[in-house]
Amino acid sequence: MPPAIELENLRKVFRVRGRAHGISGSVRALFAPTTREVVAVDDVSFAIEPGERVAFVGPNGAGKSTTLKVLSGILQPSAGRVRVLALEPGRERTKLAFRIGAVFGQRSQLWSHLPAADTFDLLARIYELAPADYRQRRAELVASFEIAEVIEKPVRQLSLGERMRCELVASLLHRPEILFLDEPTIGLDVVAKATIRDLLRERGRRDGCTLLLTSHDTGDMEGVCERVLVIHRGRLLLDRPIEALRKSFIPMKRISVVTEEAEVHVGLPGVRRLPSRPHRTELEVDLALIGVDRVVAAIVAGARVLDLSVEDPPMEEIVTAIYRGAAPVEGRK
Amino acid sequence: MARIVGTLRFLRALVAMNLRASLALRGAFWLQAAFMVLNNLVFFATWWLLFARYPEIGGWRLHDVLTLFGVVASGFGASVVFAGGVRDLARSIGEGELDSLLVQPKPVLLHAVASRTLASGWGDLATGVGMLWIAGALAPGMLGWTALAVATSGTVFTASGVIVQSLAFWIDGMETLARQIWEFTLTFSLYPRPLFTGEIAFLLYTLLPAGFVGFLPAELVRAPSVPLALAALAASLGWTLLALFVFGRGLRRYASGNRILP
Amino acid sequence: MSGARLAVSTQKYLAIARASARRAFAERAVLAGRVVFLGVILFIFSRIWETVLARGALTVSGAGKAELIWYLAVTEWCVLSVPPVFLAIESDVRSGDIACRLVRPVSYVGAQLAEALGETALRLLVLGPTGAAIAFALAGGWPADPWGLLLAAPLGALASALAVLSTAAIGLSAFWIVDTSPIYWIWQKLAFVLGGLLLPLELYPDWLRALARFSPFPAMLWGPGRMAFGFAPGAALETLLELLAWSALVAAGLAWLANRARLRLTVNGG
Repeated sequence: MPPAIELENLRKVFRVRGRAHGISGSVRALFAPTTREVVAVDDVSFAIEPGERVAFVGPNGAGKSTTLKVLSGILQPSAGRVRVLALEPGRERTKLAFRIGAVFGQRSQLWSHLPAADTFDLLARIYELAPADYRQRRAELVASFEIAEVIEKPVRQLSLGERMRCELVASLLHRPEILFLDEPTIGLDVVAKATIRDLLRERGRRDGCTLLLTSHDTGDMEGVCERVLVIHRGRLLLDRPIEALRKSFIPMKRISVVTEEAEVHVGLPGVRRLPSRPHRTELEVDLALIGVDRVVAAIVAGARVLDLSVEDPPMEEIVTAIYRGAAPVEGRK
Repeated sequence: MARIVGTLRFLRALVAMNLRASLALRGAFWLQAAFMVLNNLVFFATWWLLFARYPEIGGWRLHDVLTLFGVVASGFGASVVFAGGVRDLARSIGEGELDSLLVQPKPVLLHAVASRTLASGWGDLATGVGMLWIAGALAPGMLGWTALAVATSGTVFTASGVIVQSLAFWIDGMETLARQIWEFTLTFSLYPRPLFTGEIAFLLYTLLPAGFVGFLPAELVRAPSVPLALAALAASLGWTLLALFVFGRGLRRYASGNRILP
Repeated sequence: MSGARLAVSTQKYLAIARASARRAFAERAVLAGRVVFLGVILFIFSRIWETVLARGALTVSGAGKAELIWYLAVTEWCVLSVPPVFLAIESDVRSGDIACRLVRPVSYVGAQLAEALGETALRLLVLGPTGAAIAFALAGGWPADPWGLLLAAPLGALASALAVLSTAAIGLSAFWIVDTSPIYWIWQKLAFVLGGLLLPLELYPDWLRALARFSPFPAMLWGPGRMAFGFAPGAALETLLELLAWSALVAAGLAWLANRARLRLTVNGG
């Protein structure tokens, strides 16, 4: 069975014109343009098998969105071989469009003044779905995503979480073999994020749909996907299963605890005290040496805790750590 | 063939969605339509006053201006109701809204222009049809010519709008300029042909095709003839093809990504 | 209010007006758009008047094509110089920003007016000479009695100010009617027709002219515009008095509205 997505030496270069100001500036720019080349994606290669759930992470401007756009046929590659479902996205865009779906976190395909149900009906026409098949599929998705009450209300009256669920249902109606998601949980609260992640994971498993998800949020990565591609400055730094990533590259956790006592001391190996304030202690835990649960237990045993939070170090740090620690394109282990 | 049927069904669904979206506005819909009617009537009132004083201007009478207005208002109304997305096409291009359309298996231009509707367009349609009826252009013998005239007017207006707005694929910050050109095309279409001579007249058939949005269709109703009808058809077809070409080129450029990066 | 406080207030509003004018000047594209529009309208109507008067038909007050073009230049100059103040106020009301500002001693309405008038002043200054240049080119010279234009200038400026006051009042009505656009559009269309924007009132049937005189609009457009037909200090004075009277009336109405709005806010809270 061929891979769902195949990228070989993808290279995407933008020729960017210097920003022109106003009409006169634009006219001047037409005659004497100042262009420079921006390499958005530089020699990226990977393959994704059908049914895999892959996260595509990296800081802003890393090339994630560009890659996604090349895969979905929005952008033409500058060089390299791209095959999605054995089709060339640039050349066979329409054919491919019937078999893929896309969700853009910051943009909606739902018509805001109408109920989501109306957009679903329109999508049935766009994807030329047989009426009976469409109705059955829609019912299944509506039940699964629990939006039965929500789809008859105008979309602009919905909360962000409800809207995202409708958005996802909209993208799944035509049973796409691949679903591209660009920042699907952006702007959502913690509970909504968790719900969306669960639903995506479930759907991926049930439909056998391949998921390719870009995000800033490592929670998306861990909650939905089994494999992670780290991209930075247009190059693929890492291609690993989630578990491996966590063990190798997210070795630290940050604990922030607010206590009645002015100071808290935890004298366990692997626990380092970071600059703290009175009543608010910051600790860094080295997961290679000790589990977070033990540290938390020790804190709770030795002090009156008012508030406690456990966090990953920020994405930038992880990427920097990877950048410093690993050579580009480790390949799958 | 199946693809064409699919696209037609899609178009019908889009039209239905737009209608539903307009009606969902409820009170605001009627208000916008009504005010457009008022707006048009006031505009026409100026002509009415002028013709009260000077019964004939350049060989045209009030009845002729009524016909011109009726045709252009109907064509314009139909354009903004059914192809309302043209007005904001430059902005859509600039803000990357074409991306979600490119991922879907339907023609991008069609999808983009037919995804929006302006409720006020119904007011224009109502005014236009009303005026045509008063001018006697909806009588059984005339109906065919009138329909062709209105269709030509609306088609050329839409097509020229698409062409100007598509310049946004190449030029940044095109939105305001495109909107103004769009409005000027309409403005010039509403004034009688005899007013303009020489180079201006030439410009009004090419750059701002007021000639094909106003003059020619109005003439088709005033003095119908087969050659004129053929000219109207040719104009509609020609401008449409040009619009498809320009947009297609622009879309290719968009896909190569050589624009100002967002 | 003491003299010193009055002076300080005035300084403050002048500063707002100046800043607004500077900003309007920076937005060259918008200004250019207005100039182009003025050019297009003047051009179209120059063609109309040329065609109408081709056979030597008489018009009004001995006015020929040139005078009629200058008339339109003056009326359009007034109209195009007025910024959409009603939109600014309406959006403040919608967003709720106005709630904090209205109950403070700094007059919200005063500030808005200062801002709008600053922009109006700039537009008048830009559109005046450019409009005159276009009119000069299209009309083939000055009107028969160019001195009238000297009177048209201050009258036109005052007319624009009155328009600003009126549209500010419309904007405030957003407190009671959320969407003020319909009211604005009606007001604008009435102004165009009853004020004789495109056609001088002399061309109107008697009944319409009589009807129009009950509204402020003739004073706002036809009043300044007809100065293009000749230097007429008597008529100018008449227009001046009308403009002042209407301005006082509208200003009073505006103050009353602002007060009611403040009351509504303090009672209902935001």
